[in-house]
Amino acid sequence: MSTVAFLLTQVVNALSQSALLFFLGVGLTLIFGLMRIVNFAHGALYMLGAFVGYSLSHWSGNFWIALVVAPVLVGLFGAAFEFTILRRLYRRDAPAFLMVTFGLALVVGEAVRLTWGSDALQVPAPPLLADVIFLLDEPFPLYRLFLVATGIVVAVAIWQFLERSRLGLLIRATSQNADMASALGVDVKRVRSSVFGIGCGLAALGGMLAAPLVTASNGMAATVIIDAFVIVIIGGMGSFLGSLIGALLVGFVQVFGNYYLPDLALAFMYLVMLAILMVRPGGLLGKEA
Amino acid sequence: MSGQFRPSRRAMLKVGLAGAATVAAPAILRLSAEAQAGPIKIGMPLALTGALGSVGQQQKRGAELYAKLQNAKGGILGRPIELLIEDTAGNPANCVRKAQEMVERHNCRLFTGITLSSEALAIVPKLAEWDSIFISSDNGDGRLTAESFVPNFFRANISGPMGTRAVSLYLRTAKLEKFYALGLDYAWGHNSVQVFENEVKKSKKEFLGKVFAPTGTKDYSSYIAKIRQSGADAVFLVMQGDDNNAFLSQSRQYRLPEKVKLLTEIVDLASIRAVGDASLGLIGSSRYSFTYDHPLNNEFVELWKKEHNTVPDTFEGEQWQCMKVFEAGITKAGGIEAGKLRPGLEDIEIESVKGKVHIRKCDHQGVQQGFMVEVVKPAGFDTPIPQVIATFPGASTTPKCNTMTFED
Repeated sequence: MSTVAFLLTQVVNALSQSALLFFLGVGLTLIFGLMRIVNFAHGALYMLGAFVGYSLSHWSGNFWIALVVAPVLVGLFGAAFEFTILRRLYRRDAPAFLMVTFGLALVVGEAVRLTWGSDALQVPAPPLLADVIFLLDEPFPLYRLFLVATGIVVAVAIWQFLERSRLGLLIRATSQNADMASALGVDVKRVRSSVFGIGCGLAALGGMLAAPLVTASNGMAATVIIDAFVIVIIGGMGSFLGSLIGALLVGFVQVFGNYYLPDLALAFMYLVMLAILMVRPGGLLGKEA
Repeated sequence: MSGQFRPSRRAMLKVGLAGAATVAAPAILRLSAEAQAGPIKIGMPLALTGALGSVGQQQKRGAELYAKLQNAKGGILGRPIELLIEDTAGNPANCVRKAQEMVERHNCRLFTGITLSSEALAIVPKLAEWDSIFISSDNGDGRLTAESFVPNFFRANISGPMGTRAVSLYLRTAKLEKFYALGLDYAWGHNSVQVFENEVKKSKKEFLGKVFAPTGTKDYSSYIAKIRQSGADAVFLVMQGDDNNAFLSQSRQYRLPEKVKLLTEIVDLASIRAVGDASLGLIGSSRYSFTYDHPLNNEFVELWKKEHNTVPDTFEGEQWQCMKVFEAGITKAGGIEAGKLRPGLEDIEIESVKGKVHIRKCDHQGVQQGFMVEVVKPAGFDTPIPQVIATFPGASTTPKCNTMTFED
């Protein structure tokens, strides 16, 4: 394998990992930006997306249906959770949200185990993307290229949604000053439910897209939530662009770190986070604490 | 106030101690009587969640079916079996804490099912203090019966070095010359890769390098690139659970098996099911498979099917065998106290689902035959299955007493 071919494949690998991480991080940061809630259940909802996607692709025999429907279902579940439970807690302190979302993570985790069992389940990539293409004579899975493309499409779509749509405008207004937005007639409650649902749906999209790489398993929530927090902390809590930059940084650090410094694979991501926080305590694009 | 009675501090202490003893005595007597006549409590601090959660769940199911069927027959020595099951999430500190609670709160003196070797290595130094016996059903790390051996530890399962040895014996006649190794970055992974490296070098073949991935790794593309670049004919994998599934899925997506043969220390049915055809062609040692042709195994598979409507997996079979070792030892010793059970288990030989298992006295390792399997998809099967391609006698796959090395 030539050096150029190696670097090219690893860069695309890093981009594909960054895309998966971005789906997680952006949902978490949207929720935090608007509601000041650290959603501990984000990893569990990512896992739920993978399992719901497994069942949908199994029943329908179609990966694409599962890819669209699973995030919508999990998003609706998230919005319903906000509507029925979180809404009652907004006047409470932050620990109340930590406890409730942590509880949701436990409940979802156990519900997944009871529903789908404890064994990992196979979610194959769709036949269209199961093949490889050759990048400078090196075989490269088409599915990973699809992840990169999906990452770009979703990032642009969220950016346009936040900047151009009416709901995006209301989200930005509510996130800057909820009381003022409410006084001006914005239905803040509905905005919050929508954002929580969208964040959960994005986590589920990440889980569904990750399933062909890692299978749908009970353990997938535990490891991924840490990555999600690292991305959000690096990028700055509440910043959309920050979560994109954070996901790219973590994706590249993981892929190249695992190759060049495998002994430090685990520590590398945290060292990068530490270095950034020493220079910018609020994260790259976050407000100073 | 000279006339007032003022008890001395010593007298107060005596009264206090006497009071405490009076209060505690019934509990101590009850615990002592329970240890001799109550239910036989077997503690299972298991990794039921986390990256190796599927392994812990298998151990749980294996023990539960045994306990259910044995209790229906009157238990062991007329005493029912009670399993104390707790989740450790695969964390050694959690595992020690949960086991300590089982000892202190439930007077538990028997342990099994401690899922990770790192957890087992944290537990074994405490066994003497707890006066407890621990029979491993899955711990692979060779050190548990070598440098970290303690008299109250027994291993009913095939160890990592034994599995690796079966692979290396098989490779002696295979047309593969250059090897690379990928292991999980914890005790078992390092231990088995080291044994494999030694075996490859001894057989005058080329060992090109090794790399270790942390448990919970989701993207294996960097590791796949390393393996591909090494120029190896085969890569030896010491992986389990979610990590194994992720690696196998991704290596197939990169078409790695077309260039490099995948060898593994454990062929696990749960992984085969999880990754489907991505496991085809995988060759490795097997600690247990429902495909072993042995009358006791056939009987066990039928019992399992009746209960779970499917065939048993690797650690369900290993746990079943471990429970049978418990049963034989307790029956021979006539009790569960460590002082009695330890000699009861030493040199015991049972006929198991895998054939004969002899718990040797010198390091408490269960000597049993080694199996090599290949993952194939015969006609009539929806998913691939492990098919036995070679067996090796226990004498050739078990290391010398208290070591992890082999003479030839």
